[in-house]
Amino acid sequence: MSEHEPSRRPPAWRRYLRFWGSNIDADVDDELRFHLDMRARDYEARGLPTDDARRAAAERFGDVQSIGGALRNHDRRRERGRQRQEYMSDLTNDLRYGTRAFLRAPAFTTVALLTIALGIGATTAIYSVVNAVILRPLPFPEADRLIQVWMDNRRTGLKEDIHSWPNYADLRDQNRVFSGVAAYYSRGYNLTAAGCRESECEPERVTGLISTPDMFAVLGVNPALGRGFTAGEDESGRDGVVVLSHGLWTRLFAGDRNVLGRQVRLNGRERTVIGVMPPGFAFPTRDIDVWVPLALDPDTKQARSSFFLYAVARLKPGVTFTRAVTDLNGLGRRLEEQYPTNRDIGVHLVPLQEQIVGRSLRTSLWVMMAAVAAVLLIACANVANLMLSRAAVREREIGVRVALGAGRTRLIRQLLTESVLLSVLGAALGTALAWGGLRVLVRLAPQDIPRLDQVRIDLSVLAVTLAVAVVTGLAFGLVPALQSSRTASASALREHIRGGTSGRRAQHMRRSLVAAQIALVVVLLTGAGLLIRSFIRLQRVDLHFRTDHLLTMRFSLPGAKYPTPQSRNAFQGALLERVRQLPGVTGAAFITDIFLSSLPNSTNFTLEGREMTPEERGIEVPVDAVSPEYFKVMGVPLLRGRTFTAADNTDAPQVVIINENMARRFWPNEDPIGKRFCYGGPQCGAPVLTIVGVVGDMRRTGFDAPVRYETFRPYTQYVVSMLTLAVRTVGDPITAVAPVRAQLRALDAEQPVFEVASMDQLLSSMVAQRRFSMTLLGTFAALALVLGVVGVYGVTSYLVAQRTREVGVRLALGAPPSRVVGMVVRQGMIVAVVGLAIGLAAALVAARLMKGLLYGVGPYDVATLVAVTAVIALATLIANWLPALRAAHVDPLTALRSD
Amino acid sequence: MRADTGDLLQGTLGILILKALLLGPSHGYGVARWVESTTDDVLRIEEGSLYPALRRLEDNGWVSSEWGLSENNRRARYYTITRAGRAHLRAEATVWFRYAGAVTQVLRASPALT
Repeated sequence: MSEHEPSRRPPAWRRYLRFWGSNIDADVDDELRFHLDMRARDYEARGLPTDDARRAAAERFGDVQSIGGALRNHDRRRERGRQRQEYMSDLTNDLRYGTRAFLRAPAFTTVALLTIALGIGATTAIYSVVNAVILRPLPFPEADRLIQVWMDNRRTGLKEDIHSWPNYADLRDQNRVFSGVAAYYSRGYNLTAAGCRESECEPERVTGLISTPDMFAVLGVNPALGRGFTAGEDESGRDGVVVLSHGLWTRLFAGDRNVLGRQVRLNGRERTVIGVMPPGFAFPTRDIDVWVPLALDPDTKQARSSFFLYAVARLKPGVTFTRAVTDLNGLGRRLEEQYPTNRDIGVHLVPLQEQIVGRSLRTSLWVMMAAVAAVLLIACANVANLMLSRAAVREREIGVRVALGAGRTRLIRQLLTESVLLSVLGAALGTALAWGGLRVLVRLAPQDIPRLDQVRIDLSVLAVTLAVAVVTGLAFGLVPALQSSRTASASALREHIRGGTSGRRAQHMRRSLVAAQIALVVVLLTGAGLLIRSFIRLQRVDLHFRTDHLLTMRFSLPGAKYPTPQSRNAFQGALLERVRQLPGVTGAAFITDIFLSSLPNSTNFTLEGREMTPEERGIEVPVDAVSPEYFKVMGVPLLRGRTFTAADNTDAPQVVIINENMARRFWPNEDPIGKRFCYGGPQCGAPVLTIVGVVGDMRRTGFDAPVRYETFRPYTQYVVSMLTLAVRTVGDPITAVAPVRAQLRALDAEQPVFEVASMDQLLSSMVAQRRFSMTLLGTFAALALVLGVVGVYGVTSYLVAQRTREVGVRLALGAPPSRVVGMVVRQGMIVAVVGLAIGLAAALVAARLMKGLLYGVGPYDVATLVAVTAVIALATLIANWLPALRAAHVDPLTALRSD
Repeated sequence: MRADTGDLLQGTLGILILKALLLGPSHGYGVARWVESTTDDVLRIEEGSLYPALRRLEDNGWVSSEWGLSENNRRARYYTITRAGRAHLRAEATVWFRYAGAVTQVLRASPALT
């Protein structure tokens, strides 16, 4: 190899330019025409006439057209290969060059990488949650065809109301759009393995789903082991079968495949295990452990106003959701005309996927997604600003490349390659952060978020992360790249003579980025502020009963073991007596449910001796069984009359206590004591009840809903099998769990309790989703604030540094340092105010979108906006002040000498 | 006359082209003409396959091409043999000589052809 070899090789970009505008078609034509012309000329020289010479030349050559075509194809293929190679070699060069450049500026690289990693890491983490919870289809075949079917009850305003059997049967038989409709409801079971000695096996409380036999078929999932229900198993007598969840199977039977055919006892009744569902099967919720067939007695099958069934349906192939809605609406109207009980009741369809992930959860996850996107944008702006500052430093280097012939496009490409390299590296780091963060996130998250256990960073998440990284790299790289390639090509080396070539345009760009950052921070802070305010409001809600030092647990007496009201009452009374005498317990009482669920066991009622308006007739009240001391134990005031006593037993007159709200509504100006009513319609089949007392209102429907009209019955007259035991303790209520359990076991070793929790724990889990949203959004807002302040600080520092000479001149001419500080801070704050104004406007829009997540504060909450404004003002002031202060104390002589 | 020349094997055409280019850079027509005149028109290059053959040689890195001006001032594509092309030609020529020698030896062996 000669030593001149390297210098003969043209620079990379020269090679690149040479191929601009190469025209393959023309080249091939030229070459072949040249050949034919030369041959014709030779023939002419030998004396042939021109025309003959041409013809002879063409003949001798052969098929010019097809040979030309073959050459063109060949050349095109070669050209493509060459371009690809060119591109790859350019890319390799750029990457190598970029890596070296980054290694030369370790401080810049570290800060930029960390910023990107935070932004992309947060995005990846939240996206993986959104992906698992919202986007990924449910684990059923063709899950998008599954529909939840509700009654749209216009009487109560409940859009998602449940069905009676006749109602369900009508929908199932008369629709034209579903291939199947299954009905189900869930209930708790006391489960013991049959044949196991009382002393040996701990009874277990499990949740079961009672469904029509076709439910597995509608869902499209078969048991992993054994079989599902068959058609006849919904008849009484043949329904003694059960399908187990995979979890229960492994827990209780250690995954024994011989479990099929074994007996288990559910609420005292023996059932044969016929199947085990595959792992991960969860319908409708994760906590279902047993599935049993729904076998109804003939009466219930006729009861059109006994509502207890949920329904899920599968669309026939090719039927759209809209068509199903139209069909079912028509069917609903026909049923309304046919049956008086169906009046004002329509049909409401919801895609199962939407049903399972509730609206508020979906809203809050999308809010989180928007929040991380905002954090990512702020991070982008920071990195863009860093790159702009660095571009000024690299101006000489870029100028040299321009002088050597690099085109602007080529230069932009190289700079973009560098920024994408940076963002992809940052994304890799961010994915590691996300991986760690997700574990914390999932642990903090409330457990009732569906499919939370499936959150992971999989390939689809990584693909999105990579796409985000590339777009991010282009986003923060584009402006600096355009900027520096413009200055470079315009001024090349010339302008470097005096520092500070970043002209007005660059300064303007920087300030715009800062304003945008501040605006985003304002939006995030406002969102977080609103959630925090909501949460505080929620914590301060007075439930109107004492929630401290309160232990609660539930138990359900199986009908097989306690068949009569007397036997149930005997057990319940004995339990209460034993618990009350435990040391450290100051009171104990029963109630059916401390909190009313969204679909309570409610009934309408008929007042004695008084005409009721149609509206009043539509009002439903919950019926709660309570023990006499319940109100005293809960600290609820007795406003009128008396509480129950032990004398209110089955032999005594039937009595009832109502809450204040009900008294005020139905007896506004009279004493309700002694008034009488019965549950149910006007014919009053149920016993007539006499009101003996009025108690203060409790908030039993959770924090958000208004207080209802409520009725309470003595548990000795209205005997139920499932009760909640409330125990008031002196110390930590959790320490009372073991003694209470021991008393229960002493009465009946097979009797389990469930939902054992202190009231504090209950309340905490009720706000768990809100706390989670608040914590997350708060974290992102704080992250955004830090990034934003760093951004403001960085840009002001840079701009001040650029003006060191000017500041030096001013100081030398006698300007007091305070004037300099004022000037710098004023300029910075103008930007901050612009950002703040834009941010506040955007925050108002954003707050409206998250209205569903708020409690007790409107989306336009002045206090929050004022607080956010104050925080932003203070933060930007400090971020501008520090660099300004540094500038003002520069030594004028040094400043003047600075380059 | 054409029948006498036989089908030039592709590889042989390559060798002829490379050999023609040993004299110096030339366009496709020049290569064809040189081969014709050197062999007194016995070997007529199949012109249709000349240019595809040149492309193949270029793909193999045995020739390179460049646009230039012809002797009558026309734009023409000039082909130049590369260092690798020379080596290839030497190797191919060795094979050819051995082959042709072997065939000649066979044909000269007794009994005589007539």
